[in-house]
Amino acid sequence: MTSVPLVSVFSADDSTKVTAKHIPLPAVFQTPIRPDIVSFVHTNIAKNRRQAHAVNPQAGMQHSAESWGTGRAVARIPRVSGSGTHRSGQAAFGNQCRKGRMSLPIKVWRRWHRRVNIKQKRHAAATAVAATGIVPLVLARGHRISQVPQIPLVVEDKIESYEKTTDALNFLKRFGAFEDVQKVVSTKVVRAGISKQRGKKYRVRKGPLVVYFNENAKLLKAFRNVPGVEVVNVTRLNLLQLAPGGQLGRFVIWTQSAFAHLDKLFGTYRYASVLKDGYQLLRPLLTNPDLARIINSNQVQEKVQPAKTTKVLHEVQKKNPLKNTKAMDRLNPYAKKQRAAATAAIKANTKGTKKIKKNKALKKASRAAFNKVSAALNDATKAAVQEEQDIKVKYFSVQKGAAQAE
Amino acid sequence: MSQSVLWEVVKGNNAFLVKRNGLTLSTDPFNNTGVQTYSSTGFITQNAIGVVPTQAKVNQINNVNLVARKSTKFQQADRKTKNTQSVYASTLSVKHGIHTASRVIRKRFGTRRLGLQKAALRKLVKLNRANAVRRRNEIAASKAQKK
Repeated sequence: MTSVPLVSVFSADDSTKVTAKHIPLPAVFQTPIRPDIVSFVHTNIAKNRRQAHAVNPQAGMQHSAESWGTGRAVARIPRVSGSGTHRSGQAAFGNQCRKGRMSLPIKVWRRWHRRVNIKQKRHAAATAVAATGIVPLVLARGHRISQVPQIPLVVEDKIESYEKTTDALNFLKRFGAFEDVQKVVSTKVVRAGISKQRGKKYRVRKGPLVVYFNENAKLLKAFRNVPGVEVVNVTRLNLLQLAPGGQLGRFVIWTQSAFAHLDKLFGTYRYASVLKDGYQLLRPLLTNPDLARIINSNQVQEKVQPAKTTKVLHEVQKKNPLKNTKAMDRLNPYAKKQRAAATAAIKANTKGTKKIKKNKALKKASRAAFNKVSAALNDATKAAVQEEQDIKVKYFSVQKGAAQAE
Repeated sequence: MSQSVLWEVVKGNNAFLVKRNGLTLSTDPFNNTGVQTYSSTGFITQNAIGVVPTQAKVNQINNVNLVARKSTKFQQADRKTKNTQSVYASTLSVKHGIHTASRVIRKRFGTRRLGLQKAALRKLVKLNRANAVRRRNEIAASKAQKK
């Protein structure tokens, strides 16, 4: 790096005031981002808080069950001995049996914890710290940092003496970190599953992580009741807090002394770490990982051949020239002119015919005539219907008379 | 931090990723296409422009904001313009008209990244049109109410 990136330290009381204008970024923040190391270390280290549990070793086995063997028209599974109860003769012991023991019952001596090489753990922690200084990664993790003045956020040591939660809350509000806390509060949900009954009723997101340095700092008590906020001493940085879920980019608030301590903790690229014995920061595989810049650089572009233009020999899909005018024009350039001539001819033919303007009076007269005719028709049909009905009545009355007569 | 490196970290999982019905979509405000791809994911770049609808009041025209990603390499501790600036973005509301907004987009991209430029302009036009329709309906409704 030719120029070292610089960072400002903010005053705890006023987020517009800067107490130290330009501090060089500790070398940890230049560590290459290695999600593979972090992911590996995280999955293993996350197992270390597990408590041993097991199934009762006698579960399902407290019977004197024996197999009945062959020849009895039943399956050969061990069956409960004795009589006088429903249970006798029922299958026992097998994992497939009702009331049987599970297959491969969990033992307490299962290997619950994992050890990870120290160097890997340290590299993971360094990468995680570096990722907290990269804005897109913090955004990608889901923190709400649109009002935060700077990432990484470094504040003067005054916050280490906060004792009241109000002070802590006001501090977070001043620095735009409260939005993240609000996110935590609004997304608190009742956990799905049995853990509810085992003391883990709520699922709560992670908010900002506050990192301090002085051992007798009181801010733990001030910040601990703020939802989502965690507080940790810089000498005890924890990957599980820096990259929760193995996801890089926690939103971290550093105090000035904690920030300054990072160089001693992790060392620089010139000097190995003081506190982590013999630890040297990971070196990047590529000094310039920006692919776009490499490709567009003079050195590469000089050597590169000009881009080939793909020659299109023909269409991928055949278009029907009888339906598709553009396809037709491609095959027969004269077709366009033919079509134009045809439309012109049609237009010319229709130009001579005048529009017959119907006289209003004529319209009226024709309408009157039509009405007359239709009225006459109506009358005629009415008369016919009436005639038919008369005949019907006469006929049936005649019938009736005839029936009565009989 | 280069876009290529960040993409490798972020493509598998990030807060804006939405996977639904076999589609890989993104709610990234700097993404104008809605689909998560390397080039369209704006928050990992230093120079994207996002077109974002805002919750403006009924009678206001500026319901669309342009959110311009800015370089986070050398951050300024300047907190004067609090509401429109953040560490990673500066916001411009489209109250001076859609033409001004489209000029901003064109100027930012220049002759490069035509695909991204078109996507941003397309989204700007669509949001603006939708907003105009909405306003028209609201005005008609308020007129009907007055009657």
